[in-house]
Amino acid sequence: MPLWFVRGLRRGVVTTRYPARPDGSAASLPTPPAFRPRQLTRQIADRIVAICPSQALSRRDDVLIFDAGACTACGRCAEAAPAAVSASGEFELATTDRSALIKEIPILGAQP
Amino acid sequence: MITGQDEAEAARRLREQVAAQFGRSLHIRTLDTGSCAVCEQEIRLLTAPHYDLHRLGFFFTPAPRHADLLLVTGPMVRAFGAAARKTYQAMPGPKIVVATGACALGGVYLQDPFVHGNVGQVLPVDVWIPGCPPSPLALLQGLGVAVSRLAEKTPGLTFIADPDSPGGDT
Repeated sequence: MPLWFVRGLRRGVVTTRYPARPDGSAASLPTPPAFRPRQLTRQIADRIVAICPSQALSRRDDVLIFDAGACTACGRCAEAAPAAVSASGEFELATTDRSALIKEIPILGAQP
Repeated sequence: MITGQDEAEAARRLREQVAAQFGRSLHIRTLDTGSCAVCEQEIRLLTAPHYDLHRLGFFFTPAPRHADLLLVTGPMVRAFGAAARKTYQAMPGPKIVVATGACALGGVYLQDPFVHGNVGQVLPVDVWIPGCPPSPLALLQGLGVAVSRLAEKTPGLTFIADPDSPGGDT
């Protein structure tokens, strides 16, 4: 029997078991942001709305509207407001309803 | 009279029938409508040993006439609209359209004289896969949702990180 075959058996299978089992590499993927409403103020919201390069964020009064479908997971909002925004870790976002990707985040932080 | 609820029920039944018909063999035609080609790189990675989508019964085909599923990337440039429609018409039914990547979902390019800005403007999209680019794992999940093998998680997500905030769960 060729050696490469035995070597391959010893090292195991590289193919992921996803979707039957979680894949370990998923943790290192860039993912859309998750927000902390109590840390969000209108000022912070306006700042991250302004720097979002793909129009995924907008603000309507005290609600931050986040379109996860438009988000490119660039991480600029998390960098600009690390206390209020961090990566969500969600990558399984496929949906049959486009509007299900648009989420409303309440802005609950104290206004200065 | 057909109400919205009847329609949703009929759509669900049809989706199940389609999924049963495709069984464990589904052929995918990819369509680039002006993407930057990173989505294509991720799609090509699906055939790499680590992801190996053939184990799930998905295959790529170069001809729309052999395809069950149209995997569309890019913001749908207007010059490509007619070709996209013809590709869709050339596919035998039942057929599924999957929009892939933030451009295809209307995120990156706004509607202007050059792009439709959203694949849904031209084709009837069944499944939307967000991401810039969507990782091969996200694509696998999207394909699973497209053939009703996986449940979609999106309606339950809030993107709120505080456990004590209203509606927070992430």
